[in-house]
Amino acid sequence: MSSADQRQMSIASALEHATMTGSDIDFDYEPVAIMPETKVLKIGGQSIMDRGRAALFPLLEEIVVAKETYHLLLCCGGGTRARHIYAVASDLELPTGVLAATGAYVPRQNARMLQMLLAKHGGIFILDDDYVKLPLYFQMGCIPIATGMPPFAYWEKPGANGRIPANRTDAGVFLSAEFLGAPRAIFVKDEAGLFEDDPKKNPSAAHIPRISAAELLRLDLPDLAVERVVIDYLQRARFCKELQIINGLEKGMLTRALAGEDVGTIIHA
Amino acid sequence: MRESLVNREVVARTGSDREYEILPHVNLISLGGRSIFDRGRSALLPLVDEIATLRRKYPMVIGVGGGTRVRHTASVALDLGLPIGGVAQLVGAMEECNAVFLNALLAKHGSLQMPRDHFWELSLYIDNGMIPIVISTPPYHFWEPPPERGSLPAHGSDFGLFMLAEVLGMKKIIFVKDQDGLFDRDPALHADARLIPRATLAELEKDMPKELILDELLFDAWKNARHVERVQIINGLIPDQLTKALAGEDVGTVLTKEKRA
Repeated sequence: MSSADQRQMSIASALEHATMTGSDIDFDYEPVAIMPETKVLKIGGQSIMDRGRAALFPLLEEIVVAKETYHLLLCCGGGTRARHIYAVASDLELPTGVLAATGAYVPRQNARMLQMLLAKHGGIFILDDDYVKLPLYFQMGCIPIATGMPPFAYWEKPGANGRIPANRTDAGVFLSAEFLGAPRAIFVKDEAGLFEDDPKKNPSAAHIPRISAAELLRLDLPDLAVERVVIDYLQRARFCKELQIINGLEKGMLTRALAGEDVGTIIHA
Repeated sequence: MRESLVNREVVARTGSDREYEILPHVNLISLGGRSIFDRGRSALLPLVDEIATLRRKYPMVIGVGGGTRVRHTASVALDLGLPIGGVAQLVGAMEECNAVFLNALLAKHGSLQMPRDHFWELSLYIDNGMIPIVISTPPYHFWEPPPERGSLPAHGSDFGLFMLAEVLGMKKIIFVKDQDGLFDRDPALHADARLIPRATLAELEKDMPKELILDELLFDAWKNARHVERVQIINGLIPDQLTKALAGEDVGTVLTKEKRA
C-alpha cells in the first residue's frame, strides 16, 4: 500500500474491480421487503386536494377509521399550482431540473394541509429522511404524511419532448411503495382508474378493471391516468407489482381498496 | 391549468428550441474516487497544486467520487438484500469523506464543501474565486428506480455530475481518472485495449464499449440534453493534463455532442 508507486488503497469486495458504470454485473441479489405491511396511499393533487372540502373531508373520515387497522403512509400529489409552475418555468425556457425542483413545493404544501387536518388523529408531516422513523410512527398510531414527489429535483433527466419532469408524484409514490416492499400502491384520484379514452372528455369511454403494464404500453394511449414512467418501473419492480387507481370521490372506495378489494383499476407487472 | 400532464400533446407544448443557460461559464471537474482519491497523496497533491493555480483563471465546481468504499458499501448492502433505494441512499456518505479530504487540502486556496443542490449560492462563490466541492451521486436516495438490468443503482456518480452541469447550462465537464481516456475495453484488464481519442455522441453510440469508464446513463441523458457540449476524460496521474484540458486542449478523450467544425 505504498503511495510512492501510486497504488490504490483498495478494500477487497465483490465489486472491487467492477466498472460500476453499467449493468454487466452478475450479483446474487435477493432483496428483503423492509416494511411490506405499509399501505402506501397517494392522495391526488388536482383530483382530490384542489377540490377542497367536498372531496377531502369524506376521505379523511375513511382514513381516520382505517388507521386503526392499517399502517397508512399518505403521500400527496401536486395539482393545479404545480401545473402553473411548469407553465411559467417552461415559458421562461428553464431546464427540466428546475421544473422538478420548483414543482416539488406544491405537493409539500398539500402534505402540510393534510397534516393540519389530521393532526388530532395523529397526522404528522414527514420529510424524506424521516422514512427511517416510520416504524416508530406506526407503533405510536400516527399517520405519517409526506410529499409524493421523488427527490430527483435538479437531477431529473430532460425528456425528448417538452420540459415536464417525467418523474412526478405518481412515480415518487410508486417508488416509496417499492422501497418499503409494499406489494401494492393505491392512488386515490377522481376517476375509477383507467379508461380507453379520457372520461372527462369522452363520457362513453370504456373502463379497464385490470391490465398488465405490458398491455397498457401496447395500447399506446395518447393520455393516461398515471405517469408513464410508473408503467416502466412496475415491470422492473421487485416488490410493488400492482398499482390500484380508485375514485376517491366515491364513498367507501378507499375502505374497500384497503381491505384488498379490486375496485377501480389494477395495473399489474 | 387543469389539463393532463400525461397527455403527449400537452407535454410537447412545453418544449422550445432553446433553453436558458444559468451558469454557462462554469467548468465542472470530477475527481475520481478509485482512480485518484484511493491513491492518496501521490495522486492527489499534484492535482491540488494544479487546481490552486487554475482557479484564478477558470471558474469551476469540483465533484468527487467515492471509490473503493462505495464498492464495498454496495457489495455488503447487496449481499444483505437491502432494497435498491437503500443501496443508493448509503453510497453518498463515502463520497462526503473524499469531499472533506479535498476541502482540507484546498481550504487555504478558497475551497468550500457545498451541499450538492445549493446552486443559488454558486454565483457568490464563483465571483469570489472560491472552489465549491460537491459530492457526485444524484439525490435519488430511497427513490432510486429499479434498474433495467443488473442489481446496482443505475443513477451513479458520473450521471449525477453530468446532470448538475446540464441543469446549470454548463458546457464542459472534465473527468479526471487514472486512464488516458475512454478505451474500447477496460485497459486495466485488456493489454490490447484501444484508446478512443475523439468521438461524437452519435459515433460512440453506434459502437458503445462494453466496459465503460463513465456511467451508461450519462450517455443516455446526454441525448436529450441541451447544454453540455464537451465531456473530456483525462489521466490525472500525468502532470498538467488538467491545465491543458481547461485551456481547451484535446488531451485524453474528447467526446462532443455534435461534430466539431
